[in-house]
Amino acid sequence: MKKALKKYWPIFLLPTFAAFIIGFIIPFIQGVYLAFCQFTTVRDATFIGLSNFSRAISDTTFHHALWYNIAFVIVSTLAINLGGLAVAMILTRAIRGRNAYRTVFFMPNLIGGIVLGYIWQILLNCVLSLLEKPLLALDATAGFWGLVILMCWQQIGYMMVIYIAGLQSIPDALVEASEIDGATPLQTFFKVKLPMLMPSITICLFLTITNGFKLFDQNMALTAGQPAHQSELLAYNIYYTFYGRSGPQWRGIGQAKAVIFCIIVVAISLIQLGVTRKKEVQQ
Amino acid sequence: MKKRLLALALVAALAFSALSACSSTTDETQAGTAAPTSGETAAGEAETPAETEGGTAATGSVYYLNFKPEQDAQWQELAQIYTEETGVPVTVTTAASGTYETMLTSEMASSDAPTLFQVNGPVGLNSWRDYCYDLSGSAVYGELTSDDYALIEDGTVYGIAYVIESYGIIVNQTLLSEAGYTVDDIQSFADLQTVAEDITARSDELGFAAFTSAGMDSSSDWRFKTHLANLPIYFEYQERGITSTDAIEGTYLDNFRNMWDLYINNSTCPPAELTAKTANDSLNEFLNGQAVFYQNGSWEYANVVGEGKYTDADVTMIPIYIGVGDEANQGLCTGSENYWCVNKNASEEDIQATLDFMEWCVTDETALQAMTGGEGAMPSGGAGMAFAIPFKQAPESSNLFVALDAQMTAEGKTPVSWNFTTMPSEEWKNMLGSAMAVYAADQTDDNWAGVVSAFVDNWASEYALANGG
Amino acid sequence: MKEKTRRINRLWSVVMFFVSVLYMYPIFMVLMNSLKVESAISTSTAFELPTAETFAGFANYENAINAQGFLSSFFYTAFITITSVLAILFFCSMFAWYITRVETKVTKALYLLCAFSMVVPFQMVMFTLSSMADTLNLDTPWVLWVIYLGFGAGLAVFMFCGFMRSVPVDIEEASMIDGSSPLQTYFHIVIPLLRPTMVSVAILEAMWIWNDYLLPTLILDINKYRTISMLIQFFRGSYGRVEMGPMMACIMLAILPIIIVYLVGQKHIIKGVVAGAVKG
Repeated sequence: MKKALKKYWPIFLLPTFAAFIIGFIIPFIQGVYLAFCQFTTVRDATFIGLSNFSRAISDTTFHHALWYNIAFVIVSTLAINLGGLAVAMILTRAIRGRNAYRTVFFMPNLIGGIVLGYIWQILLNCVLSLLEKPLLALDATAGFWGLVILMCWQQIGYMMVIYIAGLQSIPDALVEASEIDGATPLQTFFKVKLPMLMPSITICLFLTITNGFKLFDQNMALTAGQPAHQSELLAYNIYYTFYGRSGPQWRGIGQAKAVIFCIIVVAISLIQLGVTRKKEVQQ
Repeated sequence: MKKRLLALALVAALAFSALSACSSTTDETQAGTAAPTSGETAAGEAETPAETEGGTAATGSVYYLNFKPEQDAQWQELAQIYTEETGVPVTVTTAASGTYETMLTSEMASSDAPTLFQVNGPVGLNSWRDYCYDLSGSAVYGELTSDDYALIEDGTVYGIAYVIESYGIIVNQTLLSEAGYTVDDIQSFADLQTVAEDITARSDELGFAAFTSAGMDSSSDWRFKTHLANLPIYFEYQERGITSTDAIEGTYLDNFRNMWDLYINNSTCPPAELTAKTANDSLNEFLNGQAVFYQNGSWEYANVVGEGKYTDADVTMIPIYIGVGDEANQGLCTGSENYWCVNKNASEEDIQATLDFMEWCVTDETALQAMTGGEGAMPSGGAGMAFAIPFKQAPESSNLFVALDAQMTAEGKTPVSWNFTTMPSEEWKNMLGSAMAVYAADQTDDNWAGVVSAFVDNWASEYALANGG
Repeated sequence: MKEKTRRINRLWSVVMFFVSVLYMYPIFMVLMNSLKVESAISTSTAFELPTAETFAGFANYENAINAQGFLSSFFYTAFITITSVLAILFFCSMFAWYITRVETKVTKALYLLCAFSMVVPFQMVMFTLSSMADTLNLDTPWVLWVIYLGFGAGLAVFMFCGFMRSVPVDIEEASMIDGSSPLQTYFHIVIPLLRPTMVSVAILEAMWIWNDYLLPTLILDINKYRTISMLIQFFRGSYGRVEMGPMMACIMLAILPIIIVYLVGQKHIIKGVVAGAVKG
């Protein structure tokens, strides 16, 4: 079969591969190259070596975006996963209307980031103004928590669905056995359910962490980095460097930041992958 | 050829005076009929030159990336008329407020880049100099009334200002008199402060506030981070005898603070909410009679005066006094941040087509009418752009605010020049705007120090970055 | 014991009811505001219900649909999403079948490249990709699927491969031995086998493409083609004006079809998400 199939590569491989070259490989290679250039368009690039990187690294808004992003990833990952797991635990009980509740919790997940951002901007600004606190665009802390709340609203349902699938795959016999042995519900949870949930947890962590780093739409719509770049995540910081600053040098700096960003995200993914592999082996 | 143009100019002037006469008697039906007829005859006459010139450029096309969102509809209509007359396709694209640089950057990188674009002055030119076609031999440059309105460096004409604008504080005279004052009572910052604070004190009884909301949403913040900030820069330049600088000292920032305090504390809403207030909010407040003062410019004329809005008699514009210099002789802030540049990387045909289009805009009867006229000046019956344009054949603008500027200058007042074109970067403006919004919500000295730092420190660092630092 | 559990469950049910109502509140708030006149939509009054004075009827919706071209945005978004998803399903499943069944160094490398492309953030290629799309005239909604196929191939191929590996080759081999060509085998055997995975992939990719903002913004000409996300962003500050009323209406109009599709296809969507997560 392998031989028969092999001859057919132009039909099976070529369409996707051609699109993949256009849509990913060439832009990626060009992107790496341009990080070492000064350019306004792809055609007029002049090679300038590493100076884009040194400027990117010395850019204080980029530092801030990096730390802000890391803080955001930690907080939002914890909040979303604890929230998702809690809701999943409740909604796997024999509760009346649990399917309707699941439907409700999952729904925000289908709404796009731009729409979400504006909905929450209006809502949070209204809350803040009723509390007589400075609005989102004035207070990076408010912007931070606003973004965390927004992401919880959007993603708790998604994680809930995965955790529910995980919880349902735990054999009832196991839970019953531990109850018969006299374990408290808390003990059952930590000693029996949690270890069985580890695969789901790894997946959810992976999803929330990568999402948190790549987040763009919500950040742009909710605060657009206000005030004074204090609520910028990395992706938005790069976008702003690219398109928000005028002057020939900024593109190259933006591209250099993008390369650094890419390395960070790929590194995190590799670590995640390694951890997952190890876990799978242990099981 | 010259005679014909002269005749055209005459027709334009006549049509214009007829129009303005009509509008001053507020006889709308007459104005409505007068505009199209004069437009038609003029178009008929103008066709010949346009066609002969258009003949060589038949293959070219024009892509105009317009900076001014307020005038998008008019440009779209003009583009359509020009295409109908000459067969040359004209695309007009308008960038959303505050996104012109973004849009220009991404459009310039595309294969059909704009052929006609705008820079805001010397600083904008720094980013785009390599793209600017030398306009020195062009017809449109020949039409310019003075070299003051061109961006010229070493004999190369990089850009041509196509509109001269003024801004100040638009006043609702009816409300002001209800409060017991007239504009003559306001001759200085101290006067303005007295009046504004008095109105605030009695706002419950009067039913309106002194200022419309100084919105810091991106649709509106340019009125303050750019236009209001021009004043301390202007006075500092005056004092130091310079026209640009790599390091601003911020000599008049205390005055700037007083003015900003006045705006935000005598407004239609609590200062903490300003950050979410949009340009629409502010305009609506003014139109609904919720506030007396509204800082904006001559470009806002058609939004303020017109059917269902105010009449010329209701409103006026006064200078922005910040308590510096010779206030008795201070005029409106007048200048341009709209320079036309032609993309030199465009194909030869497109460049020619673009130059022809520009020439048409400043010589054709219909186009001039559209650029300078107010209510009903567009062939479709819509309001014109009401610009004051620095071209030889241009009729006088029907814009009240432009007329006020001319009148003040004639009285011997000195217009405040537009020095914000020397602000080092968009980023500088954004950071200043952000700091001003933070201060507005919580008016502490610490937060004001943030504004000062955004003003002074950022100027130096942004200047260094923009100029190869 | 049983009675106690039942009581606890009843309690949870009540709690969940209130949490759900709270959870839906943001959407309700948008609905309320979309029915108000512009001047009544401000930061401090966003929670107020429309009153007789501030009630605007469907004026905002009319504005959004007529003046702002919501319908054409809807059409472009739908067109882009459908063509891209179909292209991804069809071409990527072929691709994935080939690289799992023909194992060479090249196909292994391709698989790794696909996995790598999943991880790379869009900002890395945003500029070069849009200039690439521009050079190749891929900057209209009609052919944008090529870009989505290229940039979205990673996830689809990864998921299809994950599934194909778990399926024994026997059936396919039997079919080939019976004299079917690889294409026939693909259509008659592989596609039916892949159907559940295809549903998952379709749902995940559709969720991404329908809501995507940055890629269409950078590639499409905003004056000719506006997707829904672009349209909503466009309300902020275009023409120097922010029109909150029509924007609220637009948000509502953007959410509505999603809710309908979700309620109809809920089961598949949730299954798809779980399958996608477990394999991705």
